[in-house]
Amino acid sequence: MVRQRLKKLINAPQTGLVGVIVGLSIVLSLFAGSYEKGGHSVNVFLNPNTLFQTASDASFFAIMAVGITMVIITGGIDLSIGSIYALCGVLTAIFLRSQVGLQGSDPSLGQFLISGAVCVGIGLGCGLVNGWLVARLKVHPFIITLGTMWVYRGVANVISKGLSVNLPEGLTGIFKATLGLEKGQYPVPLVLMILVTVLGGIYLSKTVAGRKIYAVGGNEAASHYSGIKIGRVQIGVFALSGMLAGVAAFAGCSYYGAASCADAQGYELFVIASAVVGGASLAGGKGTALGAMLGAILIVLMRQSIRTLHFDQNYESIIIGVAVVVAVVLDQASVKLSRRWLDRA
Amino acid sequence: MSNFLRLSNITKRYPGVTALDGVDLEVGQGSVHALMGENGAGKSTLGKVMCGLIQPDEGRITFEGQEVRFHDPGDAVRAGIGMVHQELLFCENLSVAENLCLGDTPHKGPFVDQAEMNRRAQAALDRIGAQVDLNARLGSLPIAVQQMVQIAGAVAKGAKALIFDEPTSSLSFTESERLFELIDQLKSDGVTCLYVSHRMNEIFRLCDTITVLRDGELVATKPASEFDHDSLVSAMIGRELEQLDATSGNQAGQVALSVRDLRSPGKFEGVHFEVRQGEVVGLAGLVGAGRTEVLEAIFGLDSAATGDVSIHGQTLPLRRTDRAISRRIGMVPEDRKRHGLVLGMKIRENETLPILTRLARLGFVQAARERATAQTYFERLRIKAPSMESSAGGLSGGNQQKVVLAKWLAAECDVLMVDEPTRGVDVGAKAEIHEILLEIVAAGKAVLIVSSELPELLRMADRILVFRGGRIVGELPRSDADEEKLIRLMTGVA
Repeated sequence: MVRQRLKKLINAPQTGLVGVIVGLSIVLSLFAGSYEKGGHSVNVFLNPNTLFQTASDASFFAIMAVGITMVIITGGIDLSIGSIYALCGVLTAIFLRSQVGLQGSDPSLGQFLISGAVCVGIGLGCGLVNGWLVARLKVHPFIITLGTMWVYRGVANVISKGLSVNLPEGLTGIFKATLGLEKGQYPVPLVLMILVTVLGGIYLSKTVAGRKIYAVGGNEAASHYSGIKIGRVQIGVFALSGMLAGVAAFAGCSYYGAASCADAQGYELFVIASAVVGGASLAGGKGTALGAMLGAILIVLMRQSIRTLHFDQNYESIIIGVAVVVAVVLDQASVKLSRRWLDRA
Repeated sequence: MSNFLRLSNITKRYPGVTALDGVDLEVGQGSVHALMGENGAGKSTLGKVMCGLIQPDEGRITFEGQEVRFHDPGDAVRAGIGMVHQELLFCENLSVAENLCLGDTPHKGPFVDQAEMNRRAQAALDRIGAQVDLNARLGSLPIAVQQMVQIAGAVAKGAKALIFDEPTSSLSFTESERLFELIDQLKSDGVTCLYVSHRMNEIFRLCDTITVLRDGELVATKPASEFDHDSLVSAMIGRELEQLDATSGNQAGQVALSVRDLRSPGKFEGVHFEVRQGEVVGLAGLVGAGRTEVLEAIFGLDSAATGDVSIHGQTLPLRRTDRAISRRIGMVPEDRKRHGLVLGMKIRENETLPILTRLARLGFVQAARERATAQTYFERLRIKAPSMESSAGGLSGGNQQKVVLAKWLAAECDVLMVDEPTRGVDVGAKAEIHEILLEIVAAGKAVLIVSSELPELLRMADRILVFRGGRIVGELPRSDADEEKLIRLMTGVA
């Protein structure tokens, strides 16, 4: 019984990823060194402030990674999410300024909800356009979203005239709420990330729509022969991916207090990397929301470690690039190994 | 003679299974030698060992008196053993000439010598008397022609022995006939042929010697004349085959499916027929005659189809597969790997794919109901797998086909359309699939069956509609049908 549980746990696809994250965290804690603060020795990495900061950084990637994982499971790709993020942020900031102005330190609950809905709604709209184009024109999603990536970014440029737009402080107050923790510890993005991951996980594993996503990615023709409307599934996943980019934008821009048309440039690649490191297969049919979140955490942790361990920042891209490839190769090897192990046991 | 190709004590183990267990085999030069057995018996594995695709764990191969060891198919080809593979191992995106010179492309410096390549390719095709456009992209040609090209390539590389792995599995009747003539010709040229197949008729038509494998062990090697159909089947399955009696005696009930003036440009036209409850209607015809295409149109898969399809008297919208399914039509497609199954998904998930909405509440799949439904049909079809949570991709052909059937039984179809339901399925599973189809017919469902195996049609169908060139050219009740009449109608030869 215990042995079986253990086997199941070891065989769970995310176990390796959790192991790597924990391992990297331990290494970071050991080598980060410490500083004196108020008579206590504080580890440079292993302290609440740094951990919450890392989690917040990861959360914006993770929220989008859950969305793009759904696209990737169907065998597609979404390159436009960084641009959707920027467009959502800019439009929401402009909308809010027209409503509240900058000084109203506490936007009413209604205003908060409306601005959130605007931001998420714009993301959803962009995603629907992506999905509709993919399903209708039957052009590979790579091409469609490569195009919309530039178009959405361009629209953000035009509307914001290239300037950064500040958001009301009150909104920042909500996303930087300490919820009773000490100053400098902001758990809201972390909570949002976990919420999105849980909901995304339930959607993928428990609902009819989720099952269809896996089926279409596994074999589009066979799904068609089983009465599944491929186009609808495609529109659905792109809509969700766009919507979650909107959610990430609302959280991100509020957290940082400003939105600019240059936001999230290149995020799509970090997010795709997160999904793939988290076990999503670009060939389709495979991937999980939990994996996507863990993938995002791992990638952010690697960026963090370069800072914490005082490596030359210029090496960041090289290290992350190598790590992504190594992670995916190791993941594939571990699947083979665990299968062999299961065969023997 | 026995020195030509000899395998001794060949053993190949995979995790959990012994695919070949101490097999000894002698193949005489210039013979056509059949390897038979159910799926999983090891016949394909043995073929692959001989042509270097698989390396045995134990055992020796001697070819023309010399011990040989093939590390890859290239070694085997150099020694003179070629393979005509089930899934063609050629590059579909390249031209016929490029494929025929693959691995040894003639060149002048860094540039391809096009003239020399065409000359060599033409010579290869001429040797087997095949006429193929050298510049055609291989993938654009029919499977039968691709196979010819493959055979030409092997012969041109000096093959003294050729291994055919299920060569007719995707060929039409006439195409198969042409292949058999070619094999006869190869034989008279002194090329030894090893023939892996399920199909009894072909084996008796072609082969001198038959080797039967079962569960990785060699059961018997005997001249073909010492076998007949029944003794061969029982050697393969290791028990007597219960003779199934066919459907007759079923009282056909009300009209379940009615098709009126169905047409699709370039595929078929003026198709008009009815299927009653409790009736099996067979569709006969050559590949491309419109049989499969008609089924696809009824199932809403043909966006160009027009006409009137009604089920229990109510019109069915064309081009809507989901509606067809909700009106209780099911379809077991010809190509189960491409159209029938999501191989990466579990058996359970495949079974319930068309009926997820029926098993859901508020968009959530009800796990308990799903499991119960899937388990029922998993057991009823006796699918051989550790559990219904196993991946569909790991199953043998026969069991995969059972999963596709289970899927439509679970959907509680009133009209089940099956397209080549037993292609690439072993004898035991074939009998079981027939049995299941007869059971659902006895329960008052209607079955529409397409098959290129005439004995299967003659045994299963109450009525046979014959297609030729996209039209129904004849209808024969079972009592009046035989193979000869069917072939005449199918080919249009008086």
